[in-house]
Amino acid sequence: MTNDKPLNPLEMLAYILSLQIRDHQVVYVGTGLPMVAAILAKKTHAPHITMVYESGGLNPIPGDMPWSVGCPFTWRKAALIQEMAYSFAQVYNGFVDIAFLGFAQVDMYGNVNTHLIGNDFLQPKVRLTGSGGNNDLTSLAENMVLVGLHTPDKFPARVDFITSVGHLTGGASRREAGLLGNGPIAVVTNAGVFDFEEENKRMRVQSLQPGVNFELAQLCTGFELLRPEGEIPVTPAPSPEVLAILRTQVDPNGVFTSIPGM
Amino acid sequence: MAAFAYNQEALVNLKIEDTSVLDRLVDFSSARAAHLKKDHSQRDKRMSLSEAVAEFVQDGDIATDTGFAYVRTCHQAYFEMIRQGKKGLHFIGSPNTNQSYMINFGVCAYSHNSYIGAEMRGTDRNYSRQLKNGKVKILSEWSHGTMAQGFKAAQLGAPGIFSKQMLGSDIIRYNPYVRVMQNPMRSDPDPVVFIPALYPDVSVIHVQQCDKCGNARIYGPAVNDIAIAAAARKLIITAEEIVPEIDLRYNNKGVVIPFMNVDAVVELPFGAVPGNMPGYYYWSRQWWEKFLRYGTLNDENLQEFMQYWVFDCKDQFDFVEKLGGARWIAKSRRLTKAAEYDNEDEGFDFSYEPYTLKKDPGVYY
Repeated sequence: MTNDKPLNPLEMLAYILSLQIRDHQVVYVGTGLPMVAAILAKKTHAPHITMVYESGGLNPIPGDMPWSVGCPFTWRKAALIQEMAYSFAQVYNGFVDIAFLGFAQVDMYGNVNTHLIGNDFLQPKVRLTGSGGNNDLTSLAENMVLVGLHTPDKFPARVDFITSVGHLTGGASRREAGLLGNGPIAVVTNAGVFDFEEENKRMRVQSLQPGVNFELAQLCTGFELLRPEGEIPVTPAPSPEVLAILRTQVDPNGVFTSIPGM
Repeated sequence: MAAFAYNQEALVNLKIEDTSVLDRLVDFSSARAAHLKKDHSQRDKRMSLSEAVAEFVQDGDIATDTGFAYVRTCHQAYFEMIRQGKKGLHFIGSPNTNQSYMINFGVCAYSHNSYIGAEMRGTDRNYSRQLKNGKVKILSEWSHGTMAQGFKAAQLGAPGIFSKQMLGSDIIRYNPYVRVMQNPMRSDPDPVVFIPALYPDVSVIHVQQCDKCGNARIYGPAVNDIAIAAAARKLIITAEEIVPEIDLRYNNKGVVIPFMNVDAVVELPFGAVPGNMPGYYYWSRQWWEKFLRYGTLNDENLQEFMQYWVFDCKDQFDFVEKLGGARWIAKSRRLTKAAEYDNEDEGFDFSYEPYTLKKDPGVYY
């Protein structure tokens, strides 16, 4: 892929997700765009991060794009590979700074559903994967960032099934349920970056993608979005240099960041 | 048999009336008794895959999905269970991806679910369909981490583990085995979830190497398999290679399963195809894409797909021939060794032509 193609929404997503990572952090990475973002961060503004994966891989040396959180690229010449129970335990014990995951649905309090679409567990419209590590990381991580595409059915007022508790019913309800950490601190989508209001913990616009205004973001959301005070910032787009790194070094085959026809 | 106190809300939500179906998974007494009853002598346990599956996998057993979905997973043993017509098993594992195709043949009738699918390669439509058609019944929902804690508790020799995972979620409302409690060490409110130790009836674990008694070496992610080996009432080890015991003594790196856990040892090169076997072969990317994109589309496709890959293969060598024989072996070994950086990867191209419904490349790299 060459650099003269326009930036596509998935590349933009990967870029703004990478901006959530600060150098020297330990980053727990899920499959797909989180992997792209973490590798992009490592190759740009955060070269000293440590990536950890669900199957126990720790700080693999760089290779091709992983196709699974268990694949060789997640533990490539890793000094050690921890068993699954210990892989999550390092999050509980405070050795992980930030975790990234996807979702099928996310609601106004950042609760996540990856189980099913529909209101009958035994007869769902569509059965999805189930939790995997989603619940574990969301329950334990000090900071959680969610990433996905932004459509009204993916952003309902209440998720069809709470796979993972974000801020539950708002306020202090997450902490009262016994969960650890700050919960979701950001939701990154093709519409913008969203955070959670400090007191009631409802989802709020933090910045919007170039060309997206508040009304459009609201139109794509199944609940009332909160507005930040003042003018809504525009999410920065990647520089040509960063975009070139993404296209040539991070995901050269476009496994996660290409859109057919674009 | 002990009497168990199940999460009543989950029993109602899952419509489980006869709870005896749940008991063996958490019945420590019978697991310990089964372990005591084993022949503990250091002896040659080698047999063929068909003998091991015939003798140790019984209809109705609680079996496991081991490895990590398509990494060091004993696919060829699952295929043998299908060929032998095993019926009504429960399956548990994190992930439990390989339950899906076994439902269609009646092998898997009960599901302990944590994650079913193939990550970015998409949702498993077959599992969704079989669930709605009543061909499989979910007995419990888990997260990966809490199921891992259940197996780990068994290996630790503990009745259970207090966890901070799953709290407040709907998963708890669909898992009869777990219970929210107050942390007994705290006088202020501190909810925890009690995860009981989990004891499957029978597990098959595919490893790189073991000796004839079953001492086994794993390279790459062990995932939950060390814990599962200690917990399972019956354990079959399938191995790429059987090495002399002295080799394990002089190079004990990665030796993680003790022989006492093991009932049968099967020398089974290519036992993890079409999955990835670290150090040996890469996963067959187009096979999994064809399985998910074509095979899971409807029951007829799945039947046809499995007829070709399972029923029309008498063993794993037939399967490897269909994948591409010697050329496939060489390329697949090169792929995994370059991925693991045991081979030079400079100039090595990991790209390939994916399977799509519009175009079947007809190769399985």
